[in-house]
Amino acid sequence: MTPIVLTVAWVAFLLGMAWYVAVLDGLWAAAREGRSLRTPLANPLYRCATMLRQQSNLTEAPDLLNWRLAPALYAGLAGTGVALVPFSGASVLADLEVGIVWWGAVEALTVVVVFLHGWSANSQLGLIGAYRYVAIGLPVMLISMFVLIAAALPAESLAVPKIIESQRELWNVIRQPLGLPLFLLIGLSLSFRGPFNYADSADLADGTASEISGAARLVWEFARLAMLVATAAMAATVFLGGYLGPVLPGPLWLLLKTAAVLVLLVALSHLFARISPSRMLTLIWIVLMPLAFIDLVWAGLVAL
Amino acid sequence: MSVVDDMAFWIFALTAIVSGWRVFCTDSMVRASFLLLASFIAVGLIMLLLGAPYLGIATIFMMGVEMMVMALFMVMYMMNPAGLNPMVMVHQHRFSIGAGIAAFVGLAAVMLVTDFADNPVASDARVVTDLGKELLGDSMLIFETAGVTLLATMVASVILSSRSGRFGPADEGSVPPPLEPGGQPAGRLPEEGGGHGHHHH
Amino acid sequence: MTLTAILLVAAALIGIGLYGTLSQQSFVMLMMGLELMLNGVLLAAVGFWSLAAGGVPTGQLLAIVTMAVMAVEMSVGFALITAVYRNRQADMTESLGTMKH
Repeated sequence: MTPIVLTVAWVAFLLGMAWYVAVLDGLWAAAREGRSLRTPLANPLYRCATMLRQQSNLTEAPDLLNWRLAPALYAGLAGTGVALVPFSGASVLADLEVGIVWWGAVEALTVVVVFLHGWSANSQLGLIGAYRYVAIGLPVMLISMFVLIAAALPAESLAVPKIIESQRELWNVIRQPLGLPLFLLIGLSLSFRGPFNYADSADLADGTASEISGAARLVWEFARLAMLVATAAMAATVFLGGYLGPVLPGPLWLLLKTAAVLVLLVALSHLFARISPSRMLTLIWIVLMPLAFIDLVWAGLVAL
Repeated sequence: MSVVDDMAFWIFALTAIVSGWRVFCTDSMVRASFLLLASFIAVGLIMLLLGAPYLGIATIFMMGVEMMVMALFMVMYMMNPAGLNPMVMVHQHRFSIGAGIAAFVGLAAVMLVTDFADNPVASDARVVTDLGKELLGDSMLIFETAGVTLLATMVASVILSSRSGRFGPADEGSVPPPLEPGGQPAGRLPEEGGGHGHHHH
Repeated sequence: MTLTAILLVAAALIGIGLYGTLSQQSFVMLMMGLELMLNGVLLAAVGFWSLAAGGVPTGQLLAIVTMAVMAVEMSVGFALITAVYRNRQADMTESLGTMKH
C-alpha cells in the first residue's frame, strides 16, 4: 500500500471501529433495559450531530489551553497507537523499531492527558476523577509493561511487525495465556470503561468530562472509543497474530480479530461493576501485578 | 542532515529551553511539573532525530510517569498548590542566577574551544540491537548494578517514608506549616484529638 | 544540527537547572532543578554518542545509567520529603536547620 492509501485506511479504521463500538454499547444498554432501538446503527451519528450543535460550556477560570488540548491529545495518542498496527506484512503506517516502547509511552501520556483534562476544568468533580484515575492508571501501566515485554520475548524484537511474524506457528494467546486477559483490563483502564471507570464515572456526574459540552465533548468521547479501538487492535496484533490467517486477506483478518476483541471488551465493561478505588488498588498490587510477573517468567521459560 | 531535521531540532531545542525556564516562573505546581515534562519530551524528540529511538521514546515514557507523580507530590506538600496566590519562594536569588549563567557560559566556552571528533553514527547501524547486546553482554555488571541500586532505592524509600518510621508514628499531631516563620499554623486549627478517633459534640 | 548546537542546548538546560536547584526554597521545586540538569546531561550524552563517538553501544549505556540516576533521585527525594513533612510539617529547605550549630 502507498502511504496515502495507508493513511486513508488508518483514518477509516479509527472512525469505523469507533462507530462499531458505539453501536455495540447502545445495543447492549438497550438489551439490558429490555428496550429495542429503532435505529441502532444511526444512533451514534445522531449523538455526534447533537453534540456539534450544543453550546460549549465554560467554567470559572479554567486552564483553557490544557482544557481544550486534552481531548485532542487523547485522540492523537489513540491515533498513534493504531498507526503502530500493521494491516498486512508490508503495510504499516508507523514502522518503528521500538513500537512496543512507543505503546508504553502512549499509556503513560494517556494518564497525564486524562489528569490534565480533569484538573484544567477547575471543577471539583473533574479533579476528583483526575486524581482517582492517576491512582489506578499508574499501577495498571506497570502490569502492561510486564505483559508487553513478555509478548516481545519470543520475537526477540521490540518492533510490532516482528512480534507478528514470531506468531506464525503459535499465537501468543496460547503461548502466554495470562497475557491477553491482563491486556484487556489495561484496555478498559486506558479508556476508563466499566470496572475501570474511575475518571468519568456516573458517581462523579461524568468526572473529568462533567464540565464539557459541544465539540470538545464530541472529541473526548470519540477519543475514549478510539483508545479502546487502539487497545483492541494492539491486542489482536500482539496476542492473536494480527493479519496472519488462512484463505482471507491479511487486513480482513486484522479487522475480524479487532472486532471480536472489541465485543469482548464491551461485554467486560458492561458485565462487571466498579469497586472502590482503594480495593481496586489492592487488587492490582496484590493479585494482578504478581500475575503479570508470572506471565513474564512463563514467557521467559518458554523462550528458553 | 536535511533542512527539515534542522528545523525540527531548533523547534524542539527552543521548546526544551523555554519550558525548562518557565518551570521556575509559574505559580501553579501542576503547571510547573508538566512544563518540565514538555522539556523532557522535546529532548526525547531530539534523541529520535539523533538516531536513538529506544532512548528517545524511553525518555518520553519514563518522564511522563515521573512528572505525573511529581505533580501529585507538589500538590500534596506545597502550601499554595493551586497557584491561586502569586508567590515567590526563592532564596539567594541573585547568586543562583549568577551561578546558572556562569555554568552555561563555562560549559559553552569549553564546547566552543574544544575540537570534537566528527564521527557520526552509521545510518544503517542497528542501534537498538547493539544496546540490548551491550546491556546483557559486556556491560551486564553495570546494568545489573543499576538494577540492584533501584531495588535498594525502593527499600530505602519505603523505610524513609513509611508511617511507622524510626521516629514513631509519623503523622501524630501533625499541623499545617505556618504562613510566616514561627507563626500560627495555616488554615483551620484541628479540633481536639487532631481529627483522629472520636469527635465529641 | 551540529554537535556544538546540541551541546549548547544541553549547557542551557544545565544552567537553568542549576539556577532552579540553588534558588528554590521548596524541596520539590529544588528536585525539578536537579531533573532539568540531568535532562541536559542526557542530551549531551546522546549527542556525543550520535555525532562524535560513531555510535558505540557504551554511549547508550551511559544514557541508561543517567536515567537510572534520575529514578533514584526522584524516589529517595520524595521519600525524604515525606519524612521531613511528617516531622516538621514543612517542605521548605529553611525548615531543616538542625545540622547548623
